[in-house]
Amino acid sequence: MRLAEIVEKLGLAVRTASGHLDTEVTAGYASDLMSDVIAHAKKGNLWVTLQIHQNIVAVASMNELAGIVLVNGREPEAETIEKAESEGIPIMVTPLPTFEVAGKLYELGIGGIP
Amino acid sequence: MERIVTTERVVTGETSVGSEVGAEKMTLEEVRDILGAEVLAGAHLLSLEVSMGCGADLMSDVLAYGKPGSLLLTGLTNQQVVRTAEMADIVAICFVRGKRPDEETVEMAKRQELPLLWTRLPMFESCGRLYRRGLIGVSESTD
Amino acid sequence: MPFTRVQELVYEMKVSQVMSRSVITVRPQMPMSELREIFRDKRISGTPVVDGDRLVGIISLEDFIKWLYDREGDSLIENKMTRNVETLYDDEPLVHAVSKFETSGFGRFAVVERRSGKLVGVITKGDIVEGLLKKLEIDYHEEEIHRYRASHIFEDIVADRTTLAFEYDVVGRDFERAGESSSRLKRTLKRLGLDPGVVRRVAIATYEAEMNLIVFTEGGRISVRLEPGRITVHVTDSGPGIPDVEKALQPGYSTAPQWVRELGFGAGMGLVNMQKCADEMEIISAPGKGTQIKIAILTGRKR
Repeated sequence: MRLAEIVEKLGLAVRTASGHLDTEVTAGYASDLMSDVIAHAKKGNLWVTLQIHQNIVAVASMNELAGIVLVNGREPEAETIEKAESEGIPIMVTPLPTFEVAGKLYELGIGGIP
Repeated sequence: MERIVTTERVVTGETSVGSEVGAEKMTLEEVRDILGAEVLAGAHLLSLEVSMGCGADLMSDVLAYGKPGSLLLTGLTNQQVVRTAEMADIVAICFVRGKRPDEETVEMAKRQELPLLWTRLPMFESCGRLYRRGLIGVSESTD
Repeated sequence: MPFTRVQELVYEMKVSQVMSRSVITVRPQMPMSELREIFRDKRISGTPVVDGDRLVGIISLEDFIKWLYDREGDSLIENKMTRNVETLYDDEPLVHAVSKFETSGFGRFAVVERRSGKLVGVITKGDIVEGLLKKLEIDYHEEEIHRYRASHIFEDIVADRTTLAFEYDVVGRDFERAGESSSRLKRTLKRLGLDPGVVRRVAIATYEAEMNLIVFTEGGRISVRLEPGRITVHVTDSGPGIPDVEKALQPGYSTAPQWVRELGFGAGMGLVNMQKCADEMEIISAPGKGTQIKIAILTGRKR
């Protein structure tokens, strides 16, 4: 499923790189530990996290992730937004917690094995 | 899974309010089977029920958003996870991503009668499977 | 009513369960002058006067001081003691003792066995408080319950209220042990029969505070006071202080090092969580001068 479709179906608010929603999402990856994401997330994965620090952009970019969903109503920091725009990494926000975002994506057919 | 309707009585001062809450509860035994998990502590407590799921690797978020009666899914395996569960009235912990807690953490959980599960599945997959089988998240709970 | 467990116990427990049995007694024919050493050495402020095994009176420090003050010659205890001794039976419920202390104003009562009339012990207000707390399994040494509070608790039990104070010293940089104080506190509050929602909020706020002490300071102190209607958690340290409190209160704002983040904390939610749990919160902090956080949680009402 394409990222744009997911954004629409889950009612996510896009905060950065709204021109990069054409990517095909291969699977979901939920983690708040940077080292874990670096080690295990794969290309095209949609990353669900509550981390808002600018490091998330570097990690997403390095692993060629489809985008980042920030949960629990978290908003990206100013530096994070700036970096994500320049790297073309879409950041979306939702008031939902990780469990529900993963659950709803799963129901849409997005698997959780990276 | 059966659908259970609980009637909760909330006593506020002299007045008492009865609210009907429709929620899917899930036993730890079901959780174990759905996630293909191994039981590290509290094997005798698998009939306990969890009323919602909460997935996080940062304990402060569990303390902030977790609710009593939750199952905590986490990839963090230190003793503070058990402490957090204790403070936040979490029913059970399921460690995800195949990372095993050390002996001390398991012992601490056993002392507290806190069941510990362990699955090789990633966080996303674990949350997804449980959600599809009817376990709700904390924002969907009316508790 | 949050303190029902204490109130139940006052009815459940018997005088014999809390009285002290190793009673120091004196004989009626003993000279008053000998009391000086007994009171001083045994650190007591009164003692039953026994003839054979029959209780004939009680002689108090007050009686002794009065005798000294009157500058008479030596006298026998039987001439100075209080004769019409009010006693308690060993099988009476504690609540009788409590009301007897309140109405009489005496500091101690002799306890006699109902059947034989034999003196079997002495009970003071302190014995009652100590007995109740022990029953609640609160560890005196671990939790340093302030002894000076004892009289308070007593009056409050009678007035349907209770005041307790606990203190915990937290050692900095000891991540493994983080949460031990909060854990002990939570168990104690549960045993006291407080509302689970209130207990949870106090536990979470204290745990976050404890974590901050461990991550950012060389250690500090957590003091908890239980008063009628409210619980106050006071956290003090002489650590680095918070440069910008307003900023620190923003969700996600953090100055924690990476190692703390990898351990699941330091995501900028600590103070936010404390605030979420608190009904009132006050932070006094300045760089280099340490931090004081006062959190109040009201127990009388649901949120």
